[in-house]
Amino acid sequence: MKFMENTKINFMKFKSFGFGLSSVLAFGSIIMLLMGVNLGIDFKGGTAIGVNFSEDVSIQEIRSALKSVSVNESVLDLSSEEIKYFGSESDVMIKIKSLDNEPENFGQLVINHLYNSMTEKVPENKNDFILSLGSVSPKVGSELSGKAFWSVISALVLILFYISVRFEFRFALGAILALVHDVIITLGVFSLTGFEITLSTVAAFLTIVGYSLNDTIVILDRIRENMKSSGTVMFESTINKSINQSLSRTLITSLTTLFVIIVLLIYGGEVIRPFSFTMLIGVIVGTYSSIYIASALLATIYQSSK
Amino acid sequence: MNSSIRNRLLTILFVFGLGIYALLPSIRYAMMDDESISNLSSEQKDYFESRSLKQGLDLKGGIYIVLEVDLPQLIDNLAKNKDNNFDDFLDELKIEYNNSSSDFFTVFENIADDKNLKLPRYFINYGKTKDQIITQLSLQSEDSIKRVIEIIQNRVDQFGVAEPTIQKQGNNRVIVELAGIEDSERARDLLQSTALLELMIVKDVESTNAMIRQIDSITASSTSKNSIDEDSEINELFDSNTSSNLGFSSLLISVGGNLAISSENLGSMKEILAQDNVKQILEATNSTILTSDSSIKLINEIGEEEEFYTLYHLFNNAELTGGVIEDAQMRLSQAGVTAGQAVVEVEMNSEGSREWARITGANINNRIAIVLDRKVHMAPVIRGQIFGGGTVIEGLDSIEEAEDIAIVLRAGALPVPVTIAEERTVGASLGADSISKGTLSMAIGLLLVVLFIVLFYKLSGLIASFSVLWTLILLLGVLALLEATLTLPGIAGLILTVGMSVDANVIIFERIKEELRNGKSVRSAIDSGYERAIRTIVDANLTTGIAAAVLYQYGSGPIKGFATVLFWGIIVSMFTAIIVTRFVFDFITTRKNVEKLSI
Repeated sequence: MKFMENTKINFMKFKSFGFGLSSVLAFGSIIMLLMGVNLGIDFKGGTAIGVNFSEDVSIQEIRSALKSVSVNESVLDLSSEEIKYFGSESDVMIKIKSLDNEPENFGQLVINHLYNSMTEKVPENKNDFILSLGSVSPKVGSELSGKAFWSVISALVLILFYISVRFEFRFALGAILALVHDVIITLGVFSLTGFEITLSTVAAFLTIVGYSLNDTIVILDRIRENMKSSGTVMFESTINKSINQSLSRTLITSLTTLFVIIVLLIYGGEVIRPFSFTMLIGVIVGTYSSIYIASALLATIYQSSK
Repeated sequence: MNSSIRNRLLTILFVFGLGIYALLPSIRYAMMDDESISNLSSEQKDYFESRSLKQGLDLKGGIYIVLEVDLPQLIDNLAKNKDNNFDDFLDELKIEYNNSSSDFFTVFENIADDKNLKLPRYFINYGKTKDQIITQLSLQSEDSIKRVIEIIQNRVDQFGVAEPTIQKQGNNRVIVELAGIEDSERARDLLQSTALLELMIVKDVESTNAMIRQIDSITASSTSKNSIDEDSEINELFDSNTSSNLGFSSLLISVGGNLAISSENLGSMKEILAQDNVKQILEATNSTILTSDSSIKLINEIGEEEEFYTLYHLFNNAELTGGVIEDAQMRLSQAGVTAGQAVVEVEMNSEGSREWARITGANINNRIAIVLDRKVHMAPVIRGQIFGGGTVIEGLDSIEEAEDIAIVLRAGALPVPVTIAEERTVGASLGADSISKGTLSMAIGLLLVVLFIVLFYKLSGLIASFSVLWTLILLLGVLALLEATLTLPGIAGLILTVGMSVDANVIIFERIKEELRNGKSVRSAIDSGYERAIRTIVDANLTTGIAAAVLYQYGSGPIKGFATVLFWGIIVSMFTAIIVTRFVFDFITTRKNVEKLSI
């Protein structure tokens, strides 16, 4: 089958449009992020409880059941905490901010309270009622976010170094900027949907970094190869030629990856959904950015250094 | 067949054989039904469990707990001659330590300096200078974390969990992973219970009454002071029926010769008992006030059902502690009012037996309280001297509770309390849901990918599909060999690996097509196509590999799992794409003169 062979699309003609689009998207995403990212308990501390009722429940019902929860020696009002459905209308996820002086086994106490106060709608065995329970102390939360942050930063720095050695610094700069671009925009879209950021979503972001990097290097590699024969004269046309030459590969690879992700998004279940969604956005943005950020930036850098 | 081809074939077959061999136990174990698994001998079961690919808690269900040793409490336990200065210091230490990321003893030293605390005054047994004391105290803390790990290991072993993981994290944390546990509440209680068993003599009624009167006089005077200070609010004070303002005795009721307190008033009681002058009285009379472990339900004066806990006034120093216990077993009580109920029978060592005989002999007709983790389980009257060091703990809610108490008593008491710093419990149903849906979508996804590449690259696409499939098999084999655990982020790593493996093939094929378009023969198009593609693939994969290695080094839990899969995925997919598919192409083209390539 022939697909996108011998194309001669002038990608760099739309360079300014690409930069403009990316700037708008990145700017919007940064604003979204400043307005507040939905950080999960992994990074903020707190308790997240997933419970499974034997029939459909309304969020309002849960709120009123959580109006007065007596734990140990005090009575707490948890009705304003974050409560939402999880997959179906009989499964509910409750996220509670970490409290000062939180009693031991707080999550379990809340589960017990719900189990005992909504007796008509809970499964007979309490162990079937509990889908998941997570609790992270604020201290551990800040440690986890610190670790996640520094591991991503150090990975980026090392990649920058490797590409600078194998290619040259200007290539590395384009590649890293493309990565940052992908992560910021994906984060922006992600926070627009209200999904929360957990350690698993960080793994998804890392996957995007890996994927986008792979894509970028393939194109940069072509550019490097073509530069050997044509030098830096007519640099834009060299870049166009390189992108066209690797276009069918770029599209085929992106399409096959997208297949897997879309299937995962549809059939993968509730736990993995935020992950698959992140990947979906990331792959699209990543493919675009290899062409319009990594390569186009390179063109601009070479032009301005002439 | 020339020798280069034969050597390559042997290498490839060897690697594939190794992969299959590593995966075989996992496949056989997964194929077994519950019945045949239960028929396995414990050695066979151990073999399968250690050799097969483990599923993480997020997939299998289970409980992951990070326990943190309560270091401020340890310091409190070790200190002598404690006074107000020390209490202030300790309070600040707790707050500061919880809010900072520095090492505990750094915070300890800073605050001690700030407050000009004379450490030798409190820790004279541990050295004469500040440095000596801090060194000794940190040795003590290391020692206690070691003991905590040992004891938790013991408890978990006796509880009977398949493949528990217990490991130390940092200076003061223990990670415990129990896969496949259904009753997370019970497991958590078992881990966290300090299991401090104390046998304490109950004080007589007269001294209890005297004590309550004394506390009353303090609480009453502090109330009157309040009402003078806040004259304008005096009405409010009368209206509000907060019992703490009416003195200690108003919180209590008398139930069958015992004092009891309603669950609502527990908080007020705690506040009263925490007051400095109340503490002084308790200390001066060598007494302590504890409540019962289980509650009774009674109808209060306005006709509502309320829970009440029995109050005990005890001699502060324990006559005996759990250290003397040699064995503890759950039994069903045979006789008396408790017949049929679960009890725990405790046996003491010879030293404990002697002590027990002395205590029971000296306290005939007194009551002795059996206190576990500062909660009174029972307080029977001693009828006569007991020889032989046996005793029975009654007053337990269920057989499970009795079993667990027996376990913790056998395994020993934790030297310091532990708190839960992080917990992740995944119900078995959610885990099973994730894995069945995850597997299904992986299968559909792979099928689509294979269809797509075969449609696109025809015969060559078929070769590529096999290489992708082999990448997955080999990668799972490597993970089984490494005894790695497959988690949700790990599955993400698998997906990325599949993507990169397809990509490597696509890069190669596109290059070969390009060379063919440039008019090269099939043979030389394959050669130069591979040669050029390899550089691209190596660069792309190595860059990602660097990222994976860094993430493995610095990442925690889930991120580490992701990084492991990704790292090995890169190595395996480079092997299958560069060596295996190349071999297949070479093999086909050397045998006969191929003029047209199905690509």
